[in-house]
Amino acid sequence: MSKDMKFLVVDDFSTMRRIIKNLLNDLGYGNVTEADDGATALPMLQAGNFDFLITDWNMPGMPGLDLLKAVRADARLAKMPVLMLTAEAKREQIIEAAQAGVNGYVIKPFTAVTLKEKIDKILETRANAA
Amino acid sequence: MSAIEVEVTMNTNPALQEEFGESIAALAGALAAGDDQRFFNELDGLVQRREFALFGELQKLTNDLQGALQRFRIDSRLVDLAEKEVPDARARLDHVLKLTDEAAHKTMDLVEQSGPLAERTSRQAEDIMVLWKKFRARDIDVVAFRDMLARMDAFLESAHADMDKVRGNLAEVVLAQGYQDLSGQIIRGVMKLVGELEVALVELVRLSKTGGQRVRPGNVEETSRGYGPVVPGVNHGPAVSDQEDVDALLSGLGM
Repeated sequence: MSKDMKFLVVDDFSTMRRIIKNLLNDLGYGNVTEADDGATALPMLQAGNFDFLITDWNMPGMPGLDLLKAVRADARLAKMPVLMLTAEAKREQIIEAAQAGVNGYVIKPFTAVTLKEKIDKILETRANAA
Repeated sequence: MSAIEVEVTMNTNPALQEEFGESIAALAGALAAGDDQRFFNELDGLVQRREFALFGELQKLTNDLQGALQRFRIDSRLVDLAEKEVPDARARLDHVLKLTDEAAHKTMDLVEQSGPLAERTSRQAEDIMVLWKKFRARDIDVVAFRDMLARMDAFLESAHADMDKVRGNLAEVVLAQGYQDLSGQIIRGVMKLVGELEVALVELVRLSKTGGQRVRPGNVEETSRGYGPVVPGVNHGPAVSDQEDVDALLSGLGM
């Protein structure tokens, strides 16, 4: 995995998508595409060769948890790294996301350092597993 | 047996017989005996009893009417709230969303514009510093000295223009925060409306006496959709307080 990895950022707020995109650019990831909910994101994931999914949870249309489940249920996408970046902070939700196969969970408000750490950790774990 | 006694005995309604039979018999007795005083006493007693029952009924009717009027008042306020003010509040909240969105994008635009300007100033100063250090150490030839002067001229000019622009952008960033005042006022208005709605609904529930039937909040759909950010004072159950909590929880799950 290198800096030309293709990211899909899913959030219903354009400001948050912009913040995440800027942070990813600062980290050297220039290939970032956006979607505003799970229902828009899923066909994009199925059609494009994305390497990493960052998604919010609470969105109109298809919420992030359902998107995560749909990704895990799709044989071609099942192994995609998924980072949940959300304001949802209930313990049972975090456990639910973990059980659904999320690779990382960052709660909003978050810092650039946290985002970097979680992405690095996910990529590192995958590199070791490969 | 007098005519009145016959009539009372022939009455087939046992409730009426029980209620009035004795009094009427006494009344008839007094009349037959020519006891005027007792007759009028018995008659007054009868009339009073009848009036008391009538007043009771009237009181009940008045209460019902009062309740109906009150319900009508609450109903019409609720209709007004539901038909006009709630959609109005939705439009107002939508405007808040628009205001915050615009302010956030405006701020990010200005910061993104300022970043390269600050970066250019820093880079140019760094370039000059190298030559400047040589100059201070008296280790610079004429060509390099002239290069340094030219760079300094250009730097002073561009730093002046760039920093003016940055200062202007910063002032605009501050102005963009004005959305907080506007959105705050709108949100306060909506909070007032929600309070009013709450009072009207509680009153309606009280009058309809359906308070005992509570709808269970929360369902599966809601969990999947999420609850939104944790709001201080609003309890959604056990929640993590920061990223460290999340990490601890996940590492407890073996992640």
